[in-house]
Amino acid sequence: MIEPYIELDDVSFAYKKDAPVIGGLSLQLYREQFTAITGPNGSGKTTLGKLMTGILRPQIGRIFICGRDSTEMKLGEIGQRIGYLFQNPGLQIFAPSVREEISFALELKGEDKGEIQEKVSRSLKDFDLSHLADAFPFRLSRGEQQRLAIAAVLINSPGFLILDEPTTGLDMERRRALSEILAGLRNKGIGMAVISHDRAFISRLADRTIRMYGGEIVEDRT
Amino acid sequence: MKTGLEGLDPRTKLVLVLCLSSLGVFIQDISILAAVLGISAVLSAASGIRFFMMLKKFRRILWLFLAIAVIQSVFAPSGSILLSLGGIKVITAGGLYKGTAMMLRMSIVMVSATIMATSNSREIVQGLVQWKIPYEIAFMVSVAIRFLPLLTDEIKNVVTAVQLRGIELDRIPVRQRLKVYSYLIMPVVSGAIIKSRELATTMETRAFRAYPKRTSYMVLTMQRADHFIIFISLSLSILTFVFYFKVF
Repeated sequence: MIEPYIELDDVSFAYKKDAPVIGGLSLQLYREQFTAITGPNGSGKTTLGKLMTGILRPQIGRIFICGRDSTEMKLGEIGQRIGYLFQNPGLQIFAPSVREEISFALELKGEDKGEIQEKVSRSLKDFDLSHLADAFPFRLSRGEQQRLAIAAVLINSPGFLILDEPTTGLDMERRRALSEILAGLRNKGIGMAVISHDRAFISRLADRTIRMYGGEIVEDRT
Repeated sequence: MKTGLEGLDPRTKLVLVLCLSSLGVFIQDISILAAVLGISAVLSAASGIRFFMMLKKFRRILWLFLAIAVIQSVFAPSGSILLSLGGIKVITAGGLYKGTAMMLRMSIVMVSATIMATSNSREIVQGLVQWKIPYEIAFMVSVAIRFLPLLTDEIKNVVTAVQLRGIELDRIPVRQRLKVYSYLIMPVVSGAIIKSRELATTMETRAFRAYPKRTSYMVLTMQRADHFIIFISLSLSILTFVFYFKVF
């Protein structure tokens, strides 16, 4: 039997008392699946993503990551297993250059410098960022920041990716390129949950579609 | 419905904060500083600030306070030696006294400032304008107040983003941790510049400063309680200064 990579057990969460955003939600996400999470604004999609990555902690219920209770895991430990793309990529960029943004985690983990250079160059090429390697990340366009944020998350080789609205700000060509990158990652065995309104984008890739409404799952289609 | 000190005119709150923080800055005596901190905490609680939530927030910067106490002891030693390592006076009675005074001083400034948090930025601007402070300057003050929580959010986001790259901050060596903290500055400063530019553009599009005279729908009126509190706080502060510095 295949073990879920992320498992939510009767999870509830509210930003303000008596106004639950997620109510008694149970869900299993598998590394072998590309899961799309859809639903109208305010249905709890982003909150669900943040709960799965440990940015928010459930007030009721438990979340397991690779079989471990996430409350016993630090954010850094979760980050080694799950890569998360914020809805606004500008929020997760912090280094003074594009190259450093990508190499940051590897350098801090003490990886070999030659290997880091090689990985970073490959990543820059994959995400069409080579010409911007020394650029100041905060001056990039939204689409470029989006690609940079994904590249920086992927350099860490997480087993699972959660992408919150990854196509926002991308033109048709970039959308197609992102779609190809994600399909490639799926083939490499990286699990994915994509929170998106973009039906065309989702339908190309998703094996499973979860529709949310009012903090609950109203449809789960494989 | 605003209750207690929360319902006071923002100008009254400003006078209160100025009095408390001035006492905190100029007075050196620990017992008086402790009393001023106590009064600030009571007034802050009376303004509707949740005291225990505030304590919880301050707990995070407690290490900074302790570091100040030790630095004061090492670099400004005086009095009897309480702890020495290899001939270096690590903690002295005088250093500890100065360190504690510094901690109390910083606490007074922060706790008293929370009283202002119970007025919204629009009320503060209006209060300053009615004190004949030019609208542009009053608006700048309110923007600065409004930007502070945004900067805090920005810092939190970066710390979260760093950790989500698989970095366990409490497990990496201090030198690397300092490098990570240096990364906080970049997005906070650039975020502030970007936001202020956008705000300036928005203000231009809404014809800010297009006319020399502005009228306002909101007009603040001082109540008897406001006058009374301003009188009491100014009188008590002046008396404290007079007795403390033995002016006469």
